[in-house]
Amino acid sequence: MAVRDRVARLLDEMPREAQFPSQGATLFVDLERRETRQAFTPLAVVRTVLGGRGANMYYLHRLLDETLTPLDPGIPLIFGSGLLTGLVPSAARGNCTSWSPESGVLLDSNAGDYFPSFLRMNGFDHLVLYGQAAAWTLLMIRDGVVSFEDATPYAGLDNLDMREAVARDVGGTWARNLAMVNITRAGENQVLTSGIMAGPKAIYARGGPGAKMGSLRLKAIVTLAPTRELPTAQPYKVYNRTIAQKLLATSVVKNALSKTGTPFLYKPSRLLGAMGTKNNQETTWSDGLDAEHFDAHRPGMAGCFRCPVNCRPLNDLHSATPDKYDQGDGPEYVTLGKFGPNLGIDSVASVIRLNNICNDLGLDTASTGSAIGWAFELFQRGIITAEHTGGITLTWGDAETIERLLFQMARREGFGSVLAASTRAVEQGHYPAVALKYRIAVKGLGQSDPHDARILKAFALGLAVATRGMDHLRNRATLEINARINDNPVFKSELYGGAVSAEPNSYVGKERAVRACENIYAVGDSVGMCRFTTKLFNSPSLPGLPEFREQLANVTGLAFTDEALEQCGLNVMGVERMINHRLGVRRKDDTLPDRWFDEPNPSGPFRGERIDRDEFDAMLSRFYAISRLASDGAPEDAWRKELVGALGRDR
Amino acid sequence: MPLAVTVNFPAALQPAAGGASLVVREAVASVGQLIEALERLAPGLGKELDDPLYNVAVNDEMILHAVDRHPIADGDRVEIVPTMAGG
Repeated sequence: MAVRDRVARLLDEMPREAQFPSQGATLFVDLERRETRQAFTPLAVVRTVLGGRGANMYYLHRLLDETLTPLDPGIPLIFGSGLLTGLVPSAARGNCTSWSPESGVLLDSNAGDYFPSFLRMNGFDHLVLYGQAAAWTLLMIRDGVVSFEDATPYAGLDNLDMREAVARDVGGTWARNLAMVNITRAGENQVLTSGIMAGPKAIYARGGPGAKMGSLRLKAIVTLAPTRELPTAQPYKVYNRTIAQKLLATSVVKNALSKTGTPFLYKPSRLLGAMGTKNNQETTWSDGLDAEHFDAHRPGMAGCFRCPVNCRPLNDLHSATPDKYDQGDGPEYVTLGKFGPNLGIDSVASVIRLNNICNDLGLDTASTGSAIGWAFELFQRGIITAEHTGGITLTWGDAETIERLLFQMARREGFGSVLAASTRAVEQGHYPAVALKYRIAVKGLGQSDPHDARILKAFALGLAVATRGMDHLRNRATLEINARINDNPVFKSELYGGAVSAEPNSYVGKERAVRACENIYAVGDSVGMCRFTTKLFNSPSLPGLPEFREQLANVTGLAFTDEALEQCGLNVMGVERMINHRLGVRRKDDTLPDRWFDEPNPSGPFRGERIDRDEFDAMLSRFYAISRLASDGAPEDAWRKELVGALGRDR
Repeated sequence: MPLAVTVNFPAALQPAAGGASLVVREAVASVGQLIEALERLAPGLGKELDDPLYNVAVNDEMILHAVDRHPIADGDRVEIVPTMAGG
């Protein structure tokens, strides 16, 4: 059945009126025919998986045709804002969802800045995009009215130039009434590590969403409208103050996030001997990249729509001969790790410059850093040579060469075209099969963060079971590295709903920590809350289910219990696993890179630590049991029937 | 018994500590005793340290559990390390 028929059938089932106060429409956009239709997410779906990421899964579940390929225009690209996005402090997030051309499994990526909030203020909670436009197209949403604009003049522009051109042509002001998601040349060229930019730095990064958007020949989506208040079931701003106070009173926000941002994490990882270095061949690196060394290059902090935290560090290299990469936004910890130790770089200035280039080129620093690190190790081992690289010598720490490779990637020139294949370089015939032994990836996705998880077993399990591949933002039980929490077993049990060993390298109970985190993070994504300010990711004191429940009642009028919300989080994971199952993912794919099983950690207080295959398998079985998963990695039959009952059949 | 243990603080704790570092010159055998000694040197600092944000690293090795019992020896370098997650 063609995607248009699937959409038509789905629309027949969907209500034409909002189901609760504040609900926006879902806009179905046929880019090939330049047609739009709209309806509203059914209440039963919202009760089951909420909005944002959860409702995106409903649309993908219903519209996916797994007989196609990810870049086929019949595979939709779906944007969704959370149920509280734009209304609640620190809830400025949205997800984009599809079938990943990079990993071959679920694509689901989250970003903030202003687009998800401004989309809602134009009356839309979700966009479902499909069909290939005849020429590069810009989708304009102005005061809720949608139009298809010629984007030919913008073709070939990267992020900095694109933002300047659109602001000039459209006439709005960023962060006041204008927001955009856009691809760069990397997306146009379907580079598999390309993201969709959502701001100067904000990016829907993981899984190649830029390539997917490029396959639809959609250059950008622009929203222009004055900020406005959405109708809500009852007053909610008083409780917003409670949430804001809770955010700002939390130590991690007050003392770390709002002052320095996430680079603080570099030092603990380094001291622990858990800093992925040179494609995880080593596990510690220079103290020259500790967060305080970025202080002189940080003129201020920025943030997302109505977020009081402002955790995004700005940067300024103060170069004697500045170019357009002398200033920018970031880096976050992931970029610091992936373009620092992962590539053997110990210069703050080099990391910042490469960060700024990636932001302009629209490259996911996690996947891009992973692809480059993998290539460097293959070159180090002689598995690839200068014949493969077009004569380029790959030497750890050579920032100039890495900069050159980034531009080659975006343009798909020379060896950059190989790097643009990301984790699929062997499958596409660029590397010999032995190269897979050194690929740090799960389910086809390179690791998001630079943390080497041979020590912390909860981190390892999380990376193994994450539905979009090897990514810490789906379920990272970060508090496992907080000694004060580990040393308070009663409190720790309350946090995770059962006993979890205090020892970071123990396997005991770690499935509970991952399950609890995966549930609350899925709820957070589905209401639009930032991960950094969601309970369990950075602190036990940040807003969690009770706060979400309270504001959902105020904003939407929908009553949830904390238990019902937690079930929604589990349901989101369940639908994602149903989708992955259709894409061929099984229990064997919930695993880790061979290196972590076979090679002991070479440094630090946990020198010698690795993942024991039998212990890991037992931990995975326990995780399956508490997650209601069958032996094939999908929801148990009874639960799957419940989900299908609420969401409808998949074909 | 220890003669001198130097403790370094991140910027956020320096107002409570009265500076970037403190030297504890009394007999302490563990991190727990060290924190009690710090509280005597800088009243209020102990409460600030009772925060899951802060881990303790001894001689560049971060302690992840049983932190109060972790032994301290003369000349040890102790650092308070903010610990968080990132994206």
